[in-house]
Amino acid sequence: MEQKILKKDEIGKLYKEFESEYNFYAPISQKGNIVFEKIENPEDIVLDYLNSKIPPKSVLFPQMEVLFEYTLDEKDVEITDRQDLDQKILIFGIRPCDAYSFELMANFFSFHGNWEDEIYLKKKENTTLIGIGCNNPRTTCFCTSVGGNPFNKENMDVFLTDLGETYLVEGISEKGKEIVNKLSWLSDAADKDVKKSQELATQAEESIVTKMDTDKIVSNLETSFEHPVWEEISESCIGCGSCAYLCPTCTCFDVIDETDQYNNRGRRIRIWDTCQSCLYTLETSGHNPRNTKIQRCRNRIMHKFSYYPTNYDLLGCVGCGRCISVCPANNDLRTILDKIEKIEKEEDEKIVA
Amino acid sequence: MPNPYIPYLTRVKSIVGENKANDIKTIELEFKKEEEYKKFDYIPGQFAEISMIGKGECPIGIASSPTEEGTIKFTIKRMGTVTSAFHGSEVGDIIGVRGPCGNGWPVEDMKGKNIVVIGGGFAFSTLRSLVLYLLDEKHRKDYGDITVIYGNRDPGEVLYTDVLDEWKKRDDIKVVLTIDREAEGWTEEVGFVAPIVKKVGPKSDNGVAVVCGPPIMIKTTIAVMEELNWGPEQILNSLEARMKCGIGKCGRCNIGNKFICTDGPVFSLAELKELPDEY
Repeated sequence: MEQKILKKDEIGKLYKEFESEYNFYAPISQKGNIVFEKIENPEDIVLDYLNSKIPPKSVLFPQMEVLFEYTLDEKDVEITDRQDLDQKILIFGIRPCDAYSFELMANFFSFHGNWEDEIYLKKKENTTLIGIGCNNPRTTCFCTSVGGNPFNKENMDVFLTDLGETYLVEGISEKGKEIVNKLSWLSDAADKDVKKSQELATQAEESIVTKMDTDKIVSNLETSFEHPVWEEISESCIGCGSCAYLCPTCTCFDVIDETDQYNNRGRRIRIWDTCQSCLYTLETSGHNPRNTKIQRCRNRIMHKFSYYPTNYDLLGCVGCGRCISVCPANNDLRTILDKIEKIEKEEDEKIVA
Repeated sequence: MPNPYIPYLTRVKSIVGENKANDIKTIELEFKKEEEYKKFDYIPGQFAEISMIGKGECPIGIASSPTEEGTIKFTIKRMGTVTSAFHGSEVGDIIGVRGPCGNGWPVEDMKGKNIVVIGGGFAFSTLRSLVLYLLDEKHRKDYGDITVIYGNRDPGEVLYTDVLDEWKKRDDIKVVLTIDREAEGWTEEVGFVAPIVKKVGPKSDNGVAVVCGPPIMIKTTIAVMEELNWGPEQILNSLEARMKCGIGKCGRCNIGNKFICTDGPVFSLAELKELPDEY
């Protein structure tokens, strides 16, 4: 039998199987927010969450990450490369949208021939994903409009379905199948379990009400750079950047040197940055190519729904809805995209009229 | 696949003030490891991310030509923390270098063409690199006429007076220098770059023009070039932007779907006309 059953009280046992070989990350509740952290105690793991506040991109692309370390003396510098990139990482309880975001990030970080982001790609290569389907997508979820699905198993190694008292366990990739085989203590799933998981998948998919025509949005954006809609879209934005920081596909970063007070040693780090900040593009001369909020809001949307598709033939959005739920100004990406989707329609109607 | 954020280490071999205001210096760097110098295989118009380790890193155009073997040079204006640190550096200090980055001037495609190099002010560094490359005995025969038009605010701001003097002595390059207003002892042209270009009147036939300088100079010069029948695919620009990584990862130097760091910094005017006006 390919499918297995994991009892809910066996998560600790599962954790023990992996803890020595892997850095084991899973969702936990931190001050009421769900975040992916390295697990010390498996009882902290929370699997019945709807969506984590901070996306698990933080595991492979942390908010602050060392690029290299250095020691300085009078007339010399010594550089030490990262030594921890070969460690194996396991992310347990990841959702399908977030698992797909790793593929988009890896695509971006590997794109420019000679200049691959080895730090990200090596970690990605050493990462195993044991994910879980979304029985109850949030009202802000729209993965089905951007090519995803609440039960998309494609980017997982092992896939779990919450059946109430138990989890259905399926090995998806070769690596995942091996893992499941090794967990010999798992019981076999019955036909009714498999059937129930299929029903849950169908229900979940049907529960997502947002439907958008992303082909139309992508094609409308190609001709809408100067459209007045951007003024409308950006009006309520306060420029806080939460949408980008918490976006599982946003990759932008700043680089700074942190040196100790004695000027002896330090580290060059990268930290999440956002195109929603006016400092992001401010040049030393004082010139700023994206000086206005309109330009900055436009860049975020264009990047995900026009530039990314143009460069890679993929959408730069996984439909997780975080940017919608965290926006303090209620600027809803679905509304924004709806406005863009309608641009040409309105003009076509005018032509018909 | 090495960590692309780790710089090669170089030492400052010389540091020279370039202008009267003394806020522009050229730093010459020697690689600590010969094999890393060999890996740093560049063409004119490329840039590098250079750093005072512990202070920070910034993108700077390479001012030396690959034909000047043994060292590389950067001309740096003192602006912020990192550039001030470069200005305060001394011979023997360590400077980190990552690169070469960007596409550079299309020296292969420029073969057989008449080259017009137009520069304004401090933006002359990668043009210095280009002209030295074109004039090198290995390359000079591959190119047609070479004309350099270089403008500055006043005589004290003219960079690279040593190489300019050498070029002026040669008969296979025409060098036109201009300053904005008349100054004592100045015997060359007076006026902004655009009207001087008009006066020199470079012919567009089989030509490639390379234009670098402050935005207003570029704008006015391009208007003149168009009057002189230069097509947008014949005019090349090098763009700048705030950058952190220089290798297409940190995100901030995009113009539309292009990154200045990896798709540029050199774009033809024809290419720029296809991109959103956001640079």
